[in-house]
Amino acid sequence: MVVLVYSRTGAKRFLSHIDVLRDFARIVRRADIPVGYSAGFNPHALLFFSPPTPVGIASVAEYAAIDTELSPEETLARFNAAVSEDMRASAAYRVLKNPNLAGRIAAADHVFPFPADAYDISRGLELSYVKKGTPVREDVSDRIFAAGNRDGKLLLRLASGNVTLRADRVFDALKSALGTDALVTDVVKTEQYVREGGVLIPAREALEKRN
Amino acid sequence: MENFADRFFRLLPQAEKPSRYTGGEWNAVKKTGPVRARFCLCFPDLYEIGMSNLGMQILYSELNAREDFACERCYAPAEDMAALLKADSVPLLSLETATPLRDFDVVGFSVQFELLYTGILYMLDLAGIPFRAAERGDDYPILLAGGPCAVNPEPFADFFDCIVIGEGEGVDAAVLEIVAEGKEKGWSKREMLRRMKSIAGVYVPSMREKGEKVVKAVYRDFENAPYPTRPVVANTEAVHDRAVIELYRGCASGCRFCQAGYYYRPIRERSPERCAAQAKEIVRNTGHGEIAMCSLSTGDYSGLVKLMDELRDFVHEKRVNLSLPSLRLSSFSGDIAQESRKSSLTFAPEAGTQRLRNVINKNVTDEEIDNVAKAFEAGYDSVKLYFMLGLPTETDEDIAGIAAICSRLRELYFATRGKRGPNISVSCAVFIPKPCTPFQWEAQITFEEMLRKQNYLRGLLRRIKGVSFSWHGAESSVLEAALARGDKRLSYVIERAYALGAKFDSWSEKFDKEAWWRAFEDCGLDMREFTGEWKEDAELPWGFIDTGVSKRYLLSQRRLAYEGVTTRSCREGCNGCGANKLGRCTIEW
Repeated sequence: MVVLVYSRTGAKRFLSHIDVLRDFARIVRRADIPVGYSAGFNPHALLFFSPPTPVGIASVAEYAAIDTELSPEETLARFNAAVSEDMRASAAYRVLKNPNLAGRIAAADHVFPFPADAYDISRGLELSYVKKGTPVREDVSDRIFAAGNRDGKLLLRLASGNVTLRADRVFDALKSALGTDALVTDVVKTEQYVREGGVLIPAREALEKRN
Repeated sequence: MENFADRFFRLLPQAEKPSRYTGGEWNAVKKTGPVRARFCLCFPDLYEIGMSNLGMQILYSELNAREDFACERCYAPAEDMAALLKADSVPLLSLETATPLRDFDVVGFSVQFELLYTGILYMLDLAGIPFRAAERGDDYPILLAGGPCAVNPEPFADFFDCIVIGEGEGVDAAVLEIVAEGKEKGWSKREMLRRMKSIAGVYVPSMREKGEKVVKAVYRDFENAPYPTRPVVANTEAVHDRAVIELYRGCASGCRFCQAGYYYRPIRERSPERCAAQAKEIVRNTGHGEIAMCSLSTGDYSGLVKLMDELRDFVHEKRVNLSLPSLRLSSFSGDIAQESRKSSLTFAPEAGTQRLRNVINKNVTDEEIDNVAKAFEAGYDSVKLYFMLGLPTETDEDIAGIAAICSRLRELYFATRGKRGPNISVSCAVFIPKPCTPFQWEAQITFEEMLRKQNYLRGLLRRIKGVSFSWHGAESSVLEAALARGDKRLSYVIERAYALGAKFDSWSEKFDKEAWWRAFEDCGLDMREFTGEWKEDAELPWGFIDTGVSKRYLLSQRRLAYEGVTTRSCREGCNGCGANKLGRCTIEW
């Protein structure tokens, strides 16, 4: 099995997670990446993904595990020949079995289009949004794991996976607090993390260690 | 020229489904350099619908194959996006380069069926282009229409500068060539249109002369016709996300209600070798997981067995499904059905009794319906059946025949398969007399009669276990009939209906009966004028269009219908309809 780290920028940032799943089945077929199939009535390619990124948010750190015997290098080359620039993969890792990224990813870094000092993590954060027609107010402070500075911009490490904090909702809250005209499309997911021994480590490092 | 791309991009996060509007799909062609002429191909319905249309893909790939032409696309935005565009004063833009429609040299609309007419106005409105050709000066692009509805272009003719009657391959490129030359030589729009008139299949409404005939365009060398082996792959789920191969045009069956069967004559088949090669190339170029065979009656394709042989290893190796739409009962073969995934089979007996099937020339016999047993033996559990209500001479006995067919299928299922019973789904449309068919003079049944017949059939089917029943809306069927046989006066009705809020009329939840009925009233027109029976010597709005099939042939078929006499399939021998004057039928007998 090979895990690809790919991006979703440009027009591809507007794809929904379900569209990405559908697209991947087509990509591996046209890329001629031999892939294993499930054995049910409707056999589907064995592809496994990291947790969804909200529509509109760009990412340079999406993960997809492909059940293939090809080498990581060859998988990467064939994949990149079969996708447009805004979906290119940057790395590939060989793993022995499905790394269960959907279940193991615990956090993700996001760079926001706000100054790095625009938000003080010690203040916590309260979100208010509408979910299925019902207004929701919730304190999400415990789902922001770290704040930092990435080239002058605000970087936040947000909970992701089973317990998640949607970056688009964080963006909306900060935007209205700051009163800027920034766009949610300028938020970029830059890394995803798994928790190992109580510590968050970048998914890439975890995959490298498994090699 | 103002660059709207950035402003448009800022609107996307607020749209319900932004991936409809971003473009950048796999195989999309973006030409930013100088070209001689730019064409924007428009589809007056949502992206998901338009992206499934084969005609759009054919023309897009044909025009972009020319280095000196650029062809881009635009689909009707959903209402949420339209509101965002209007609020921000952003005009409707093309997907490829975010160019306003009005900045193209030619804007071409694919008009697939009558309930999309308001979609044309909706898009022109958003593009800031006046509706009527007479209101547009030389500063506006040439507006072109084409597609199946061009068989009677009169209801929308005044909105367009020119209309392609028949097949667009070759014709659209010839139109664009004149535009390119005209730009280079400084011709007026009128001069360009005057020259376009000489292209076979091009109708210029503003220059129609008395007694003029427009002969339908036919691409004679269908084997070598342009075909997209690198079709654009939709960003979001399209209605049909699959590799499509077109097996043949036209149909040998001669069903007397079927416009496509008459309009796409002469019959031209493509060789199974070429179809197979195209299918493989499309799958390699797109990654689609399904190959669909497109034609009016796939089971009748003479190369079907050869084609399946050619594709067998490939579909197994690539894990691709073969889907077989539109099978006729008489041509159903258990062997062929074995090859595809056994989800459900679709058949269209169209009428419940042998008598009525003879009237409409649907050459399906009761014995052939028993053929479905083969499908049950092959492992199928679900059958979809298509019927029509309100066909000429129909009685309640014919409707009861539909229920009898369902009962018979259940018996066949229990005789061949297990105990659970099959899933039978019955879908009933309402007969709409369409131009250029032997039934073009017929009346449509009244609205009240439609409801009565639907209720009667629903009552009968309710008593049979495992049968689900769906039907077309009666109101939209009446409107479709009125628009199908309309004349130029209907352009005012369409305009008025749009002004009253009608749009996306083919979406049942969006269909606005009040707007349409009021629009007819406001224009002083009675819908019954268009849906009632017409005299055989009446002047038809589409009478100036020569589809190849002679009026004499249509009338003789109408007579035979009333006598309950069938006409043999064109595969058994030529029936002399006249269409082969436009190109040779390539089937052999």
